[in-house]
Amino acid sequence: MEARRDVFQAIADPTRRAIIQLIAEKPQNLNAIAENFDMTRQAVSLHIKLLSECGLIEIRQQGRERICEAQLRQLSEVSLWVEQYRQHWDNKLNSLEKYLHQLQKQRKNAKRKK
Amino acid sequence: MQSEKNNTSDRELLLSRLLDAPVELVWEVWTHAEHIANWWGPDGFTNTISKMDLRPGGEWDLVMHGPDGTDYKNKSIFREVIQHKKIVYEHVSAPKFTATIQFERQGEKTLLTWHILFESREVFLQTVKTFKADEGLKQNIEKLNHYLAVQKQTNG
Repeated sequence: MEARRDVFQAIADPTRRAIIQLIAEKPQNLNAIAENFDMTRQAVSLHIKLLSECGLIEIRQQGRERICEAQLRQLSEVSLWVEQYRQHWDNKLNSLEKYLHQLQKQRKNAKRKK
Repeated sequence: MQSEKNNTSDRELLLSRLLDAPVELVWEVWTHAEHIANWWGPDGFTNTISKMDLRPGGEWDLVMHGPDGTDYKNKSIFREVIQHKKIVYEHVSAPKFTATIQFERQGEKTLLTWHILFESREVFLQTVKTFKADEGLKQNIEKLNHYLAVQKQTNG
């Protein structure tokens, strides 16, 4: 059974985030990527496999080399979602603002009646 | 590349708003359960606050009742309370985060700053994802309601 892959799963891991960051600057092959991490080439390779399955990395054959390229379009989807979530908190402030306004008006009226 | 631990920018939200009300009133509205129930969103939700013990270590239990009847329990512990200045609470039910609300007097207005720091990037992303899924669900329900209303019209 294949686990469901998505962009959130891809970036949930700090090593995978670091890999994306690295190749976003410059596409490079597996060996060059692996040199940056304190883990086996196999471990890095597994991370890259998952990233590629999630569509965050495209692997391009260039002569005898396999070059990994970052696909950043998917990441912008995440920031869009973060923005929506932020909006949810911002709405709380909108509603606080509205309530304060309403309350002040009520109290002013109550004072006038006295 | 290992600066992740100290850098919180990928697991926090920072919001601020200049409110047209004196700090005493903003504080009052923030710290009394009967007020909070009136503005603690989101739209279409009602809130029940069974406990709000505003002091360091005090508990705060808030249940949001969704329009579809779902209850969302929120349990928090207050960590810091400085009158008219600052409230820090830890949201101990999922998703785990620490919120810091600062009140700054600006004449007759108040600058409110709301900082939400999630336990980890993982928790933050999971929260965003769940929220997105819930939003999707809400839209589905709205679509269904709309569809049913249209059906009623055509049939009636």
